[in-house]
Amino acid sequence: MEIIISILAGILFATAIYNLLQKQLLRIIIGTVLLSHGAHLFILTMGELKRAKPPILIEGIKDYVDPLPQALILTSIVISFGITSLLLVLTYRAIKENKTDDMAQLRGEEHEYE
Amino acid sequence: MSMSNLAVLPIIIPLISGIILAFFHKKVTVSRWLTRILTISNLGLVSYIAWIVFTDGAVILETGGWEAPYGIILVADPLAITLVLTTNIIATACAFYAPHSMNIKEETHYFYAFFFFLITGVSGAFLTGDLFNLFVFFEVLLMASYALIVLGGGKVQLRESIKYVLINLFSSVLFVTAVAFLYSVVGTVNMAHIAERVQEVEQKGILTTIAVLLFFVFATKAALFPLYYWMPKSYIVPNPVISGLFGALLTKVGIYSILRVFSLIFVYKLDLTHQAFIWFAGLSMVFGIIGALSTSNIKLIVAYNIIPAIGFIIMGIGVFNQDAISGAVYYLVHDMIIKCALFLLVGTIAYVAGTSDLRKFSGLIHYYPVLGWLLFVSAFILAGIPPFSGFIGKLLLLKGALTNDEIVIVVLGLLSSLLILYSIMKIFIQGFWGEKDESFVKKPTKGLVGPIVFLLAFSVILGIGAEFIYPSIDTISSYLLDPEVYIDSVLKE
Amino acid sequence: MIFTVLIPLLLACFVPLISKIKDKIHTGIFVFFIPLAIFLYYIQFVGSDFTTVNQTVDWIPALGINFDFYLDGLSLLFVLLISGIGALVVLYSIYYLGKGERLGHFYVYLLMFMSAMLGVVLSDNIFVLYTFWELTSISSFLLIGYWHFNERSRYGALKSMLITVFGGLSMFGAFILLSVITGTTSIQSMIEQKDIILNSTYLPFILVLLLLGAFTKSAQFPFHIWLPDAMEAPTPVSAYLHSATMVKAGLFLVARFSPIFSGYEWFFIIVSIVGIVTLCWGSYMAVRQTDLKAILAFSTISQLGMIMAMLGFGTEIAVYAAVFHILNHATFKGSLFMVAGIVDHETGTRDIRKLGGLLNFMPMTATLALFGTFSMAGVPLPFFNGFYSKELFFDSSIDLTAGISGFADFLVQVIPYLAVFGSIFTFVYSMYFFFGVFGGKKQFNLLPKKPHEAPIGMLISPIVLVLGVIIIGLFPNLVNGTFLAHAADAIKGAVTADQHIKFWHGWDSPAFMMSLIVVGIGTILTFTRKKWAGVYRFLPGKLSLFKFYDIVLDKLNSVSNGVTKQYMTGSLRLYVAIILGTTLTLTFITMGATDGFTIQFNNLSDVRIIDLSVVLIMIVAAVGTIFARHNVAIILIAGVVGYGVAVLFVIYRAPDLALTQLVIETVSVVLFLLCFYHMPKLRKRDETKRSKAVNIVISVGFGALMTIIGISAHSSKWFDSIANYFIETSYKLGGGHNIVNVILVDMRGFDTLFEITVLGIAALAIFSLIKLKKNKEAD
Repeated sequence: MEIIISILAGILFATAIYNLLQKQLLRIIIGTVLLSHGAHLFILTMGELKRAKPPILIEGIKDYVDPLPQALILTSIVISFGITSLLLVLTYRAIKENKTDDMAQLRGEEHEYE
Repeated sequence: MSMSNLAVLPIIIPLISGIILAFFHKKVTVSRWLTRILTISNLGLVSYIAWIVFTDGAVILETGGWEAPYGIILVADPLAITLVLTTNIIATACAFYAPHSMNIKEETHYFYAFFFFLITGVSGAFLTGDLFNLFVFFEVLLMASYALIVLGGGKVQLRESIKYVLINLFSSVLFVTAVAFLYSVVGTVNMAHIAERVQEVEQKGILTTIAVLLFFVFATKAALFPLYYWMPKSYIVPNPVISGLFGALLTKVGIYSILRVFSLIFVYKLDLTHQAFIWFAGLSMVFGIIGALSTSNIKLIVAYNIIPAIGFIIMGIGVFNQDAISGAVYYLVHDMIIKCALFLLVGTIAYVAGTSDLRKFSGLIHYYPVLGWLLFVSAFILAGIPPFSGFIGKLLLLKGALTNDEIVIVVLGLLSSLLILYSIMKIFIQGFWGEKDESFVKKPTKGLVGPIVFLLAFSVILGIGAEFIYPSIDTISSYLLDPEVYIDSVLKE
Repeated sequence: MIFTVLIPLLLACFVPLISKIKDKIHTGIFVFFIPLAIFLYYIQFVGSDFTTVNQTVDWIPALGINFDFYLDGLSLLFVLLISGIGALVVLYSIYYLGKGERLGHFYVYLLMFMSAMLGVVLSDNIFVLYTFWELTSISSFLLIGYWHFNERSRYGALKSMLITVFGGLSMFGAFILLSVITGTTSIQSMIEQKDIILNSTYLPFILVLLLLGAFTKSAQFPFHIWLPDAMEAPTPVSAYLHSATMVKAGLFLVARFSPIFSGYEWFFIIVSIVGIVTLCWGSYMAVRQTDLKAILAFSTISQLGMIMAMLGFGTEIAVYAAVFHILNHATFKGSLFMVAGIVDHETGTRDIRKLGGLLNFMPMTATLALFGTFSMAGVPLPFFNGFYSKELFFDSSIDLTAGISGFADFLVQVIPYLAVFGSIFTFVYSMYFFFGVFGGKKQFNLLPKKPHEAPIGMLISPIVLVLGVIIIGLFPNLVNGTFLAHAADAIKGAVTADQHIKFWHGWDSPAFMMSLIVVGIGTILTFTRKKWAGVYRFLPGKLSLFKFYDIVLDKLNSVSNGVTKQYMTGSLRLYVAIILGTTLTLTFITMGATDGFTIQFNNLSDVRIIDLSVVLIMIVAAVGTIFARHNVAIILIAGVVGYGVAVLFVIYRAPDLALTQLVIETVSVVLFLLCFYHMPKLRKRDETKRSKAVNIVISVGFGALMTIIGISAHSSKWFDSIANYFIETSYKLGGGHNIVNVILVDMRGFDTLFEITVLGIAALAIFSLIKLKKNKEAD
């Protein structure tokens, strides 16, 4: 199953990147969301997907799944959420200011940087 | 070596400062004074810690009392503390520059809070001994930088910041994934522990691939060829003081990470990884300088000049001998200071000239002789002309490279030094020399010049006073070339 | 010694203060005493019993960079020139530059240069030498750009800096190589270890890099092009830097290192050829110039070439003639520059076509010019010092012995002819200069000012120099044993100190015959100059090195602009594509090179239908985002993936994660809908076929890369995870049953603290973004 989840995560990466390479901002942001999902699945897989007990100590049971990746994912999920929210507001404002959501038109002209 | 809570202070103090200033955001005068006092006292404290580190060895803290490698370890080793010290020097200069260059609106929109959060993230990234924690600190400093880059909220700023956020977001995701891969192989995220285990298996199998993945993550942040495209334009859109902070700190955290990871952990496939670094170094020099020569926008000239400097440092890491690593560290410290100074300087010039387009102003020296001469000296500092700081770094780097028979990169390095000089001297010749424009209205530069002089003074001291600085740098490079010391100090009490 | 080097620099700091009182006293009067004092200090060393003097002051001993000063015959010669001519030039400048000029700046730069130049010739430490070397370039840059409101001054300043700093950097490269090979930074110790250097594989590099430094500084062909443009500097500067001292630093460098290289055949070949070509080209081009200072500039180029050639010959007589000519050239060329300055000052022009017939109006100046030009031409009379060194040059050119290779042999054959050729043109431009200005018809209607003799103050310095010309001419042995021999000795070692300079060698002396040929043909060419001047249309014709520089500089800017525009398009897609493409390619290559891929099928968890169906749904949803055509649709489809992740968390025993993921996914979807409900409609993906193909390759490639690394990493679990420790101690030390929670709040509480910080900053940033917008709308 680890191999299958790795493939799934890889597909998430691929679709995410395909969306990132588009011009419309909404697609690009959806791309970043998929990217985080892919990363989190990879972290989970790296801790082995044994169906042992969840990492909550119960007397007499020795076999638990690896708790560390779970802790790392939790940190990462929260951080991703923060960035995604910021990115959303940022995009919203940028689209309003620049009056387009097409990255191809958001290249910028030389004189604007003076 | 000693265990002490001191190691956490350079992170916690800016954090608390940031929180305090978030509350005081509406009171501009209070914010300004608090910021000045806090940066100076933090600088004093960090100097004290640095003194301890260089006399007694690394200061280590196991956070929460969890012993290594299980808890998160902070390691104030000579390299980390030197960079934290440099960071605080820059922070102090910027704290004094900011009130004069920003408008009240920008200041009240939490500038000072974000400023301290940025310092928190940068210091944390330098001090942490845990790879995942490094990721977290990257996010702290990036999040603060996202907030800073949009400050002011102009059209161009918003547009460039989207690109900036997206590229950094991608490399962060890649970072955390790579950490996971590494964890799977070595079963730990503590850097010393990783180093020990990678050494045990001699970096076999998939490890080098993961190392290269990490390299690209850091190289994107460090703005190395060919991953720097996001950098130049996004660095010039915010206020000069923010450009100064970014130019001095952000890319340098990336290069620091490369230096740390590829001197401590992945040092068993030198002829593959480190040899490739030299290629990246050469290409960064060439393309960075081409960029700097391509434009007449003075801010962009300085922004592009970040890239060849990164090239010089990565060349030192690639060559990987005592001289080269000393040179890389020297150059790193030098470049942090001079880049900040230059961004502040061209920011001031663009402000007084009313434009950053070099074709649109000239003869400024008649009105601003001090700015002109500061720029003149900066050009030589940046190009590595003796007796300034760039020279010592460059000398060591080139000496190291020649010891390893890397003649091509040396030739490139020398040529790029000439063109770096040219790119900045162009600003002096075209912008400052020339006829006096009688109709010019002089704008006050009160408070803008002091911080620049302060930074340049450090550059001069780093060069002329190399005798006092060099032994410390030598200590750092010996330390970096002998990973056992780091591993032992963290893992074996 | 260190004081003499640093004093000008230190005192330069006070010049701006002194210049404040310029209304009363000219700043130059104070400055004059500085070089004079230095000159008087060093004159005490002159004498036949001279011995070398060493002095060391530590600077950066850790890197072997110290002020190791070393005074031998060669440096003594230069030190006397620098301070002596320096004093005369300052004296001259007092009358040349009015009080209206920015005198403070001028003298600061000049003193800076003086220190730098003294430092160059006295340093035994290569890196200190390099430091001073670059400082001479910098001060020269500032002096050329002194009248920076002139476009030509700015142009000349930049040009000289680019070329000389280029040379400086390549010399620096040679120095690093030398120090790496020999392990020392002292030139004298290097000379002792010359065998190591001569046997090094880097020898060609060292030689070429070092000579580039020397050739650029001494304006040798083809790097001479900066010198004529440097004539935009005030004339005292031209006399001092660009004739007597700085341009001779290159000669000094070659002389200094020739004890190491003198036996090396390529040293002979390169230095002799470059020198002799420079001699010929410089003198040939000088005749074509119309600006007095341009004539002198090319003449300087040519004379420097001649000295360079002699240093290349490396024979005893050649080396001796070289140092002799360094001295002589400083005297007659220095005086000629001052003459040119006087003419410019008194007539308002330096254009030789407008000048003429000034002999009666400026008799004193004309006399000075006569001695200067005739000495330069090498006219065989005993009161022209130039003749002696010129004749020694001829002597040395025929004295050469055949080299080892055929090419060196050939060179030995042609050098005498080229020497005569160059000298003929030297004669022609000397006469052209003198008679063009002072002879011929007067045409005062062309002059901006009515000419009259210069004030006496302006004449003092050239008079002193011309006296030098005459005295050395009449009594050459006055300078011979006292310091010229020591100088030659320093270069060549054991030069016979009693080398006796004679005026008359007899009719049958070949050098004398060569001199006669030069004077004969030279006279004919002088009179017929207008008839053969058409030759310049063929050579150089349109081949101009000056234009070449302009084109290179222009191209440097335009090509870099072109290249940068190619990729710095501001297009996010391109940025992402390049970053990903590079990462992808090189990571794959690494994996191949290190045999990174492994896959193991044991110890995997079972594949179950329920897991598979979740996975399949997620894949479909993920791919679906690409094809979605509606705002709400794409957000919801992406949401499916998110919830799928949550389900997987449940399946794989991560209850906390599942909960968090569910909450966050829900909030995210709501946020997305809020933001994008009112946003522009999702359009069809518009991509060209080509960009579509690139996108697919990159995205699929990257996905595959991650999967492959993931599988390999998972298949390479070589160590026990530190997680076991967490399981063991969670309750004992952390006091909690939920291990993940204990890790988050305790073991890795530091992470959590800063994760919250990130969230806090994000909230603050969002808040400030929204508030900023409100403020804007309120404005």
